[in-house]
Amino acid sequence: MPYHQFKCSECIPERLQHAVDKGVDEDLTSALPLGYLNTIPGTISERGCAYCGAKHVIGTPMKNVIHLSHGPVGCTYDTWQTKRYISDDGNFQLKYTFASDVKESNVVFGAEKMLKKNIIEAFKAFPQIHNMNIYSTCATALIGDDINAVAEEVMEEMPGKKIFVCNSPGFAGPSQSGGHHKINLQFLNQWVGTGEPEIYSKYVINYIGEYNIQGDQEIMRDYFYRMGIQILATFTGNGRFDDLRCLHKAHLNVLECARSAEYICDELRVRYGIPRMDIDGFGFEATADSLRKIGYFFGIEDKAEQIIAEEYARWKPELDWYAARLQGVKMCLWPGGSKLWHWAHMLKTEIGINVVSVYTKFGHQGDMEKGVSRCEPGALAIDDPNELEGLEAMYELKPDLIMTGKRPGEVAKKIRVPYLNVHGYHNGPYKGFEGWVRLARDIYNCVYSPAHSLVHLDISKDEIPTDKGFVTRQMLSDVNLSDEIKNSTELRECTSDYDPIPRLRKKLEENLYTFPDPETGEWRQVPLEKLKKNKVVDVE
Amino acid sequence: MSCELKAKDRVGTINPIFTCQPAGAQYASIGIKDCIGLVHGGQGCVMFVRLTMSQHFKESFELASSSVHEDAAVFGALHRVEQGVDVLLMRYPDLKVIPIITTCSTEVIGDDVDGVVQKLEAGLLKEKYAGREVHLIPIHTPSFVGSQISGYDVAVKAIVEHFATKSDKTNGKINLLTGWVNPADVTELKSLLAAMEVDATVLFDIETFDSPIMPDGNHVSHGETTIADLQSTANAIGTIALNKYEGAKAAKYLENEFEVPAIIGPTPIGIRNTDTFLANVKKMSGKAIPQSLVRKRGIALDAIADVSHMFLAGKKVAIYGNPDLVIGLAEYCIDLEMEPVLLLLGDDNGTYNADPRIKALKEGVGFEMEIVTNADFWELEDRIKNKGLKLDLILGHSKGRFVAIDNNIPMVRLGYPVYDRAGGFRHPVVGYDGAIWLAEEMANTIFTDMEYKHNKEWVLNVW
Repeated sequence: MPYHQFKCSECIPERLQHAVDKGVDEDLTSALPLGYLNTIPGTISERGCAYCGAKHVIGTPMKNVIHLSHGPVGCTYDTWQTKRYISDDGNFQLKYTFASDVKESNVVFGAEKMLKKNIIEAFKAFPQIHNMNIYSTCATALIGDDINAVAEEVMEEMPGKKIFVCNSPGFAGPSQSGGHHKINLQFLNQWVGTGEPEIYSKYVINYIGEYNIQGDQEIMRDYFYRMGIQILATFTGNGRFDDLRCLHKAHLNVLECARSAEYICDELRVRYGIPRMDIDGFGFEATADSLRKIGYFFGIEDKAEQIIAEEYARWKPELDWYAARLQGVKMCLWPGGSKLWHWAHMLKTEIGINVVSVYTKFGHQGDMEKGVSRCEPGALAIDDPNELEGLEAMYELKPDLIMTGKRPGEVAKKIRVPYLNVHGYHNGPYKGFEGWVRLARDIYNCVYSPAHSLVHLDISKDEIPTDKGFVTRQMLSDVNLSDEIKNSTELRECTSDYDPIPRLRKKLEENLYTFPDPETGEWRQVPLEKLKKNKVVDVE
Repeated sequence: MSCELKAKDRVGTINPIFTCQPAGAQYASIGIKDCIGLVHGGQGCVMFVRLTMSQHFKESFELASSSVHEDAAVFGALHRVEQGVDVLLMRYPDLKVIPIITTCSTEVIGDDVDGVVQKLEAGLLKEKYAGREVHLIPIHTPSFVGSQISGYDVAVKAIVEHFATKSDKTNGKINLLTGWVNPADVTELKSLLAAMEVDATVLFDIETFDSPIMPDGNHVSHGETTIADLQSTANAIGTIALNKYEGAKAAKYLENEFEVPAIIGPTPIGIRNTDTFLANVKKMSGKAIPQSLVRKRGIALDAIADVSHMFLAGKKVAIYGNPDLVIGLAEYCIDLEMEPVLLLLGDDNGTYNADPRIKALKEGVGFEMEIVTNADFWELEDRIKNKGLKLDLILGHSKGRFVAIDNNIPMVRLGYPVYDRAGGFRHPVVGYDGAIWLAEEMANTIFTDMEYKHNKEWVLNVW
């Protein structure tokens, strides 16, 4: 019996099949929890709603777009400023959020007229912005407002303005995942194919399922540009609305977060014949393999290998400094959807971390399939975890840290388990080679925090050590370390800047990249304005 | 020179100042001991409210969802409430109070939450939980009515109405309805009452929201106001509701239903309002104001003397947030010789124009002042960027941070939520201690700005 029976959930038998212990020699046929089923009310689950999955996770990272939620003000307010998806043009998407502010009379008499006023007001307040995403909410979906018709009307009256309507009310699915699905397909249906981009490289990709958390997209963009690859659009982090209208013109879809964005990839394959390539930007080997795969696809393996060699030389000694000190550290890897499988094996093989548990709030069975297969035997896998199960698991497994979201992190803190934020990151970006070193650094700082080492001491009962005025992280981490490692002149601590992104943006400004001409194959620079804002022509 | 009260003239909201009613009800429910609110609606209505709370307090609070999904939205979702109550009771053995908080979705589909509570009381609670004290309290907070403020007010009233039970004799206490405050405010209020030797039932006693990491056990943050406290509110010698818009409904209910006399307001922000609060306590309890408070007040006045006319006088301030907080701060700022030129209230409460404090501002201020209702942050930003509003300081919660950052205006983080500064909940704004902290924090924030902008920063050499 591979299922894991939580004591706290004995009274709700249907929870049993949502947690498994991965046994030795067990395969996935006997160790796969159920996933993406309706939430049991009152469990204090950690799931969000389909509105947030659409608007908050996927819609809002689009830059230079007015993000308007059609509903009462709370949906907008509550999801605003709780993420760290930056953009390279001033963070409008972080700073501004719009609500139609539906009131009781609108619920009774309909809210379409006021929605139209809202749209016009918003465009007038920000005349430099020409794109808008409108998101339905529970209230306006239930009263049956025809948002699409209102949007059409405004677009006719205000030429040049383009509005995407996302119908994904909060109740539309068991979790945020329902919203991911909806926004993927609705954006594709409404806007993909309406733009003709300028192609300036022989190698053209879409970068899908990447949200530029603390600059992840910009780290990866640097690698792609160094390979001479044109990124037609990123869905959606740091992505432009106009570029996203051109998704149909890429040679390859490079898919990062398959949980949230495989739908659009699969449809682009069906409708436009664009192949889907799943990649992993987390971890040295994973990133290297991903660049190699893309290199093979285009026949530019040498370019990929060159980048991998440069990046390994620059960053590997720093990763290894931390890996030497983090061997055997026990971690609960409790992210939202896909990071369990992006990270579990890389944490083990590259940093030496023992992932003792994985969970997913909104993942499907496929995520568990990948996640469980990449864990070591003994790992506890939980689908749609709830507060009491999380506590029980932490008491039982005694992890050295958990990697999870802000709020569950506060739960862990109270039982003396430190946490790292895997949604917004502590000090990201975490993608790519440099990012992975930053993650290792953050794990190290978390696990060997000298202040944290004091939490177990009960000054009323225990003998109080009085011999030290301070302790350093290394006094804690290097206790059992060999002299060879301690005195190594090769290994070194993380030298990445507090914010590495300005360096990458400066590099872009200096236009140091070259791309092969699509016709002649000649490698040459491309005008900077095209890199920053590619020309897109409207097509019918 | 005039003060004008007006409503925002746009229909939509660009960067909201408030969230909706269920959030206010949830904030009230976490103040009760052995209580977990069950929010009847989509999961986001809880998940993100809890996230905001955890951002503000750096703590996690227990709140549950009935997890309304698509089928329930079509066919009705009351069975999800029934299951949710059962699951909570099975798994949390100490749980006694479950407020059932409605949202826009479940109000639109017309779920009869009152009916399902009756059904559960007659069925599940009798059959499965016989002998266990359980209180189910329907709280109607559709998101398209009012705001987080009315949500809090409605919830406090529903909770008091559910519990308050008249007995033969008075409990000798004052009911203190604090309104939407921080743990440090409760500490300060308790200390004022303790100095006067007045016993109070605090709704809600949230000092323990600031909870520790202990060497063992789990120390989850939750309020300490008990069922017995709530029941005895009907037997108090009187009720003081500090905030007109956050708790006054319950105070009036106790007065009308049980003849517990109520005093509404003022929000004890600043010296003058704290004096009034103590006068009210004195009047209600018959207790004298002791020397220790004369001294405490003196220390506050001393601190104010150090900063007010030298640094704060003439400074133009914009204030936004919860209405009682904003009005209280504005009044205090005027006492400090500052000019609160713009007040932003984030909802469309039609009674603001009848608020005596707003009337007094309209009649009394000697500078140009605007009070905007139904306001959003664009009302602030647009005035700064496009209409020439010059500000020396902004007071408000963290959601408005970019207005301050992008326009280089110093800002003191106040109210809820404050997540971009550490430990905001640890500082009181009410009472004499609050007056000290506010005056000094405003001054220090202006000092940092003077240094950053090289604006007479050398003045501080000899201060």
